[in-house]
Amino acid sequence: MATPKGAIGNEPVVRIAVGGEHDGTDRLNAARDTAETVDVVAVGPTGVEALAPLVLATRDGATAFLPRCTVEDARTAVEALEDGSLPDGGPTVEHDPTTSTLPLPPEETMVSTALTAGVRRALGGCGWQAPASVADYRTSCDGALLAEDGIDDPDAVHERVADAALRGRGRGDGSTDDPISGAWTTASETDGEPVVVVNANEADDHARADRLLLESAPLAVLDAALATAHAVDATDVLVYTNDTESLARERAQEAADALAAECDSPVPIQVVAGPDEYTAGEMTMALEAMEGNDRLEARRRPPGPAEYGLYGRPTVIHTPRTFAQVGQALAGEGLGGVPGDPGTRLFTVAGDVDAPATIELPTDATLADVRGAVALDGGLKTACVGGRFGGLTRDLDVPASASGLRGARLGTNGVIELFDESTCTVALAGRRAKLAREENCGRCVPCREGSKQLVDLLRDVYDGEYQDGMLRELARTMRETSTCEFGQEASRPVTTAMESFEPEFRAHADGRCPSGSCDGVSS
Amino acid sequence: MSTDQSTPRVPDVENPQPTMPLTEDIRPGTANDPPVEIVERDRTADADRAATLTVDGESVTVSAESTLLDATEAIDTDDYVPALCSYDDHDEIGPRSECRTCMVETEEHGVVPSCSFPAEDGMTVRTDTTEASEARDVNLDLLLSNHNLRCTTCGKNGRCELQDVSIENDVAEPRYGVFDERDAYEPLDDSSPFIQIDRNKCILCNRCVEACNDVQVEGVLRIEGSGEDTRIGFQNDAETMMDSTCVSCGHCATVCPTGALVEQGLTDAATIPAPGFTQKNSIGKTVEAENDRFQPGQATPMKGDQGDESAAEPTAESPATEDD
Repeated sequence: MATPKGAIGNEPVVRIAVGGEHDGTDRLNAARDTAETVDVVAVGPTGVEALAPLVLATRDGATAFLPRCTVEDARTAVEALEDGSLPDGGPTVEHDPTTSTLPLPPEETMVSTALTAGVRRALGGCGWQAPASVADYRTSCDGALLAEDGIDDPDAVHERVADAALRGRGRGDGSTDDPISGAWTTASETDGEPVVVVNANEADDHARADRLLLESAPLAVLDAALATAHAVDATDVLVYTNDTESLARERAQEAADALAAECDSPVPIQVVAGPDEYTAGEMTMALEAMEGNDRLEARRRPPGPAEYGLYGRPTVIHTPRTFAQVGQALAGEGLGGVPGDPGTRLFTVAGDVDAPATIELPTDATLADVRGAVALDGGLKTACVGGRFGGLTRDLDVPASASGLRGARLGTNGVIELFDESTCTVALAGRRAKLAREENCGRCVPCREGSKQLVDLLRDVYDGEYQDGMLRELARTMRETSTCEFGQEASRPVTTAMESFEPEFRAHADGRCPSGSCDGVSS
Repeated sequence: MSTDQSTPRVPDVENPQPTMPLTEDIRPGTANDPPVEIVERDRTADADRAATLTVDGESVTVSAESTLLDATEAIDTDDYVPALCSYDDHDEIGPRSECRTCMVETEEHGVVPSCSFPAEDGMTVRTDTTEASEARDVNLDLLLSNHNLRCTTCGKNGRCELQDVSIENDVAEPRYGVFDERDAYEPLDDSSPFIQIDRNKCILCNRCVEACNDVQVEGVLRIEGSGEDTRIGFQNDAETMMDSTCVSCGHCATVCPTGALVEQGLTDAATIPAPGFTQKNSIGKTVEAENDRFQPGQATPMKGDQGDESAAEPTAESPATEDD
């Protein structure tokens, strides 16, 4: 099967970002209808919603940015290139014609500062490389695929990842916040044929990094997953997405086909869908969904998936974010960041902002850097860091590393929701507790019954009774004794809110909501 | 570009796990749990090799496939470890490790559920730390918070494991109260003449499901729903026991630790006579048996029909095939 045509080096070329929240398919069709000699290539989104749909027009080593591009603008851009010029109206940047990463125009010329916030390493190819073009992807790894190296010397792949002390990223990873090489060793030493799972299933609409990687740079993820499969002697690679994320699935499939055509690997890559439920991303429920179980439930552990995974086979399961870091480690460049958690982390900034943006921070940066990426309506009161069951904080001066986030009692699933002064922290924590009560799988008592009592104890606050000791005791038990991360993390918004915003709990018990947003406080 | 590509949910990869040829199409509704025994990666394949660990300061030696609960049960522990949902009478039932009333503290792994945690050689276990004790107590109270605590009208009064562990654990006043909202009670399923179901007493330990599916291989019961709607249901999506495919073997009631599943003949075997109070009026709502559907044998009408499908088909002699 022929690998799809790339965008890099084929000038003049118009890149249309298709995917993300603002799909550019109509721009793509208009541009293709207009084009006679100019190449029009569908690329993935950049992760910056404020720019979408983004169109890039490139000729002679210069690229014009057309953020929030209309259908008409897309046609005009093609016509301009056909006429031998660059379209007007957007900032332009000069670059090496064969650069593998999105060249960035000066910050002051753009409608959003999110592209220049942090760094763009794992995100480098997003919006620039044609997602399933091996030719484009090869420009970013100096010609040789990681999987090709993996076939030749699987032990070297494992050694490099172990030497780098790379940790797993995101919810639904088999080694979240832990060094991943331990799970690789376990999987390869356990009896049975190992499987590698790319777990991209995520129902939290704010956690978009994994979907972004599959829509924009699926080859970087799959190449690293295939190299991992060789390193642990796995016989299958499975990419697991949400049911509704058809574009991510389609691009992952195209990338898998392109990789199979280019690379003589005996390991097939299959793309499968799981339900769009929040619990379906949890690593053992992901395995249950792939096995076709009729009801999703977390598995008892230990042993974890590295010993007993898909159909009982040893399974290495990581998110696309983790595989992107594996790719960076194998590409031989210094990962940077702090030695205990090297590399970068992807954060999607959402909440009361003009437009969500996914940005990349080295682990030695602080979360405060995300403030430069988005415009917040009003002043920042609270941030929820780490996804739906993240920690609430006023202070973003926290290192972007696993230990830094954990130390600040924040979550490590790359989401930072920013909330302005009108947000009531008690109500925010209460909504997250209610979510835990409604969405849990129902298996273990501390999560199923604990989340019910958690909601009831928060209701008591509104009725005038703030039982902080009871709340802390319950939260501790849920955290210490729940079977999976869902229950272990479900009480975090409440406990962190009690730590950082305790006067608000007392005010509610006294019948007053300081932010003025709660109805029904007793008076 | 097309976005309606359908993708199989079950990947085409090899499943090395043995599957038993079954006459029933069983949908377990529960997770494919790993086996308890630790995978002995770095040991020789010596199944009889023992693990020696320290529990509350005492040295305990158990076989290699044992759990921490086996080790705690081998001695007199400093604190009481209820392990309510654990069932050790049969290999094919549990450990489910759902109730989490068996938490103990280990030096190596922190607070862990003893009923399913493999006993590793050299471990140091304590039952009496503040963390482990609090976790057990809170989880037992969480169980009681969703349990209809009407013991005096319950057929399992005096032979109820939840009652036993609550007494043994000195539960005087459960911190989250008890399940006492009559409006929220599920109706008593009294439809079958053999087994009565009171879901208000169910702790979702899964023993009945495993006894039905894994031991009896009948495939009648399953866990359905999620979150607070999780409940024991039927694999044929029936609403009542009478409409299920039950053969009335009674194994589910035998393994049930509470009064959730009781043999009909025993529903008032141990109740304390209190004027005006019966189990039925304490629940308030009951799905009663329909007299015209009384089971002639032990199988429910649905199960009976399954074995008699050919008789339901029109035959050449039957009037349905004849023209007027």
